[in-house]
Amino acid sequence: MFRHTMLFLGHELGTLRRNPAWPILGIMQPVLYLLLFAPLLTSITPNGTLEEALVVFTPAALMMIALFGSMFAGFGMINETRNGVLERLAVSQAWRPAIILGRVAKDMIMLVLQSLVILGVAALMGLRIGLPAIGLMLLLMAVTGLFAANLSYGLALAVRDENGMSQIVQFFLLPLMLLSGLMLPMSVAPDWMQTAARFNPLYHAVEAGRAMFAGDYSDTTIPIAFGLFLVLGVLTLTWSVRSLRKLAG
Amino acid sequence: MIIEAHDLRKTFVARRGRGRTEEVEAVRGIDLSVGEGEIFACLGPNGAGKTTTVRMLATFTVPTSGTARVAGFDVVKEAAKVREKIGYVGQAGGIDDNAPGRASLVMAARIAGLSRAQALARADELMAAFSLAEIADRPVKTLSGGQKRRFSLAIGLVNRPPLVFLDEPTTGLDPQNRANLWDEIRALRDQGTSVLLTTHYLDEADALCDRLVIVDHGRIVAEGTAAELKKEVAGDVVTLRLDDLAAARALLDAEPYIKETQEEGGSLRAYLDDGEHNLPALLRALEAGGLAIRSIALDRATLDDVFLKHTGRSLRDAA
Ligand SMILES: Nc1ncnc2c1ncn2[C@@H]1O[C@H](COP(=O)(O)OP(=O)(O)OP(=O)(O)O)[C@@H](O)[C@H]1O
Ligand SMILES: [Mg+2]
Repeated sequence: MFRHTMLFLGHELGTLRRNPAWPILGIMQPVLYLLLFAPLLTSITPNGTLEEALVVFTPAALMMIALFGSMFAGFGMINETRNGVLERLAVSQAWRPAIILGRVAKDMIMLVLQSLVILGVAALMGLRIGLPAIGLMLLLMAVTGLFAANLSYGLALAVRDENGMSQIVQFFLLPLMLLSGLMLPMSVAPDWMQTAARFNPLYHAVEAGRAMFAGDYSDTTIPIAFGLFLVLGVLTLTWSVRSLRKLAG
Repeated sequence: MIIEAHDLRKTFVARRGRGRTEEVEAVRGIDLSVGEGEIFACLGPNGAGKTTTVRMLATFTVPTSGTARVAGFDVVKEAAKVREKIGYVGQAGGIDDNAPGRASLVMAARIAGLSRAQALARADELMAAFSLAEIADRPVKTLSGGQKRRFSLAIGLVNRPPLVFLDEPTTGLDPQNRANLWDEIRALRDQGTSVLLTTHYLDEADALCDRLVIVDHGRIVAEGTAAELKKEVAGDVVTLRLDDLAAARALLDAEPYIKETQEEGGSLRAYLDDGEHNLPALLRALEAGGLAIRSIALDRATLDDVFLKHTGRSLRDAA
């Protein structure tokens, strides 16, 4: 089972290596946000320094790629429902969850590598955080990716249509983003919005990231975020494997 | 028997938009038995249920009812065992467009349980057998239809299965590539591999297969060797065009050497044995009846005539 997951992962990484342009393009957006948006936040931080703004905004920029990158991961799989690749794999000796897991693992690795680049840019701009914070943040990125990518593959297999899928993803992305405190911390929001945000997994991820970057490792949002994404990751994986079975009609 | 299927049925629930659904009876009770080392064909028009049947036998689709054993194992309860014994090349091909053919081939071999070294060796072997070595490192999307088809076939054979399913293996190939593929399929049989293929080409079912079934609307309408099936109709067929089809049909039905007549698309088809000798008698009979013939042709009966006899339609315009 593990062997098959690694095989699919290897195959996917091979494809990525042959065509690395897209993931590089994918990090341009959060880098631009760091460069052109984080400076605006200096007006709301206590001492008005760029470093404070970076502590608040870098976790958000990271979550942005976790969400925008991984939520679209499933698009590639829609074509595979039509060109017979999934049909062939489904009747091969492959362990079925590995078909999804191998791809998800690729997305997680890509996400961690992209995060490193973004952390590098933030460091160049003056962000100073410890190694434990970096390590924990990368782990959090990995579990966020686990959830977002599984969700995306599940959607792709259930919807099986590029237009429908892009409508659905767009429909959910904007409220998820606005209710997560991605751009501005939720603490500046009215009460009802803060309550609503608690039901948004992304909000907990952003909060946990900010706590780590502020060196506040005892903050309860950290275990909440990890637990939440692990559970959601397993649920969405089960769902996408089910959808794989439904492909046969 | 490498395949034994009893009363296989599949009903799909298809969405019709606005929440409404529709039941599609794709397969309505199919019995099949395929012997070891046989090339067996499912011949039928579009939508007959060929793909659905093959998919049920290959463990992709779960039958609505009925049972099937493939290589000795039940396709539902022992699907994993069945998968070890089969190769499957779907109608869509199923190769990763973005990866080079070699990578996909090695990957498929490794999924089948080979080590890296074994997988590389097996890939080389198959690429040599299907003359793929030169195009093995180009992304598959840059290959021609025939080249892709050969790669699909190679991938389907990677685990040396005793049985392969080929869903419309030659659709879209030029005559040269088709002939080559036929040779490759025959070579498989000669090595002892059983082949179940689907096709809507009459000549393919006729020339390539040891035995076949003709399917229409999810049911088997005829089964046997091509020679047996054609003999059931008659050796020859006379196709006539004339103004009064009904009168001509009544007249010919009364002739002793005519076995059967069918009207099809404005012409009359009269089945008879030993057509060369009986044709003059047929012409005299029509002349005596005062019926003017606009055109006439004498041919050997084909599987299309078998299809026509059982369904009242020609396979050429059945879709
Ligand atoms: N997943 C599905 N959901 C709903 N209906 C389906 C599904 N798959 C097939 N059908 C229907 O079942 C019938 C048989 O389809 P099938 O693909 O088995 O035909 P076929 O003989 O392979 O045709 P072709 O020569 O066009 O490949 C068709 O009417 C088709 O519309
Ligand atoms: Mg088909």
